Amino acid sequence: LYQRARMEYHHVSAKNGVADENQNAEKLSHIEKAYTTILSELGEDVKREGLLRTPLRAAKAMQFLTKGYKETIQDILNDAIFDENHEEMVIVKDIDLFSLCEHHLVPFFGKAHIAYLPNKKVVGLSKLARIVEIYSRRLQVQERLTKQIASAIAEALEPAGVAVVIEAVHMCMVMRGVQKMNASTVTSVMLGSFNDNAETRKEFLALTMQK
Amino acid sequence: MDHSKQTQYSQNEKKDAGASSSVLNGHFDGMAKRPAGGTGRAATAAAAQPPGAESSSHRPAASVMESWREERTRSVEDNEMSLPSLAAAYTTILRGLGEDPQRQGLLKTPWRAATAMQFFTKGYQEKIIDVLNDAIFDEDHDEMVIVKDIDMFSMCEHHLVPIFGRVHIGYLPNKRVLGLSKLARIVEIYSRRLQVQERLTKQIAVAITEALQPTGVGVVIEATHMCMVMRGVQKMNSKTVTSTMLGVFREDPKTRDEFLTLIRS
Repeated sequence: LYQRARMEYHHVSAKNGVADENQNAEKLSHIEKAYTTILSELGEDVKREGLLRTPLRAAKAMQFLTKGYKETIQDILNDAIFDENHEEMVIVKDIDLFSLCEHHLVPFFGKAHIAYLPNKKVVGLSKLARIVEIYSRRLQVQERLTKQIASAIAEALEPAGVAVVIEAVHMCMVMRGVQKMNASTVTSVMLGSFNDNAETRKEFLALTMQK
Repeated sequence: MDHSKQTQYSQNEKKDAGASSSVLNGHFDGMAKRPAGGTGRAATAAAAQPPGAESSSHRPAASVMESWREERTRSVEDNEMSLPSLAAAYTTILRGLGEDPQRQGLLKTPWRAATAMQFFTKGYQEKIIDVLNDAIFDEDHDEMVIVKDIDMFSMCEHHLVPIFGRVHIGYLPNKRVLGLSKLARIVEIYSRRLQVQERLTKQIAVAITEALQPTGVGVVIEATHMCMVMRGVQKMNSKTVTSTMLGVFREDPKTRDEFLTLIRS
């Protein structure tokens, strides 16, 4: 038995499944109008050529960047769990990650490194990257993102251990505020053997963090 | 404090009203001039439908370039007055995306996002002439001056998503040199706006040309566009490079080569 990290936040539409088409179009036009307001309040001319369709493009971009809310783990994982007599560490590293800071609505991006110790069940490798996509395409906090990825893998595979490390650059720190160009934030979650066993953790960190 | 700011703005605007061209931010023919701190939104909305807007698609190349004495479209008071409606717009966006604006992490997000967006577009409230006036010096120097690797952050005007990269500037002075940080400040003024990389490059080059009348100016920008990296084609490693060469940088290939070699190293 190992400590399970609890999901701290469940998004409503993640439980609802398929979104209603009409509702989607209506929401899109609300967001579009909001962006038109934003452009004019910033002192720009919403009628100039470059900005004519910007509210629509920005609204669609925002919807794309938060599409993780509509996706569920079950949809992407159901098929790709295989019984395999493998108990050695499996690592997928340098997964490019793009998310939105929920405090400033500004991107943060970086890399995720994921490792797990299978307990007779392995998962298709790209599914680990898809799990990262589901949780990162949301309004996020890096700590919560790391935990959600780790606990999703833990619940789906019931492995002997899961480790997730995310190293990201936050534009809200780089483009504004303190304006530190080179600072990056590293968060990690270690579950099961990665938490209990220092050697396992060391092996994972050596294999992923060495440049 | 507010009152003294207002009178300062109205004086500046009156002074420049004669000198400024009819181009604003290089975007369209006509002035979207904000009255000094006062009636804000209504007057701006009226002024923002410039008479020449219909012809904006046919404007000649010259009027796309703005004069370095151009008007601000925004003042500090405008920032404070716009904040509530910006925040309301962001709340609508959060709701439209299916999020719950009342949860702890999002409670003050509309305000933070609104202030952040105002910061990302603060170039609209700055004028080149304010930044440069003091720092032009007469110096008997006619060799190339380069300031390179200037970090640049801008916003894509099509998707409202960040663009970031580096700017390299070189110029051949003609008896007048500019304070070095002022080159970086020119970059800041034009990049902190809703931009297109081609226009940004040209605006920087033209501003330096108009301020200094140098023998030549070269500006190279290499940037990553989040709208290409985070969405759409999703190409992580692609960079966009644009350049503007004016004066002797354009005419003389050797000068241009020297500039390009020096910024590479």
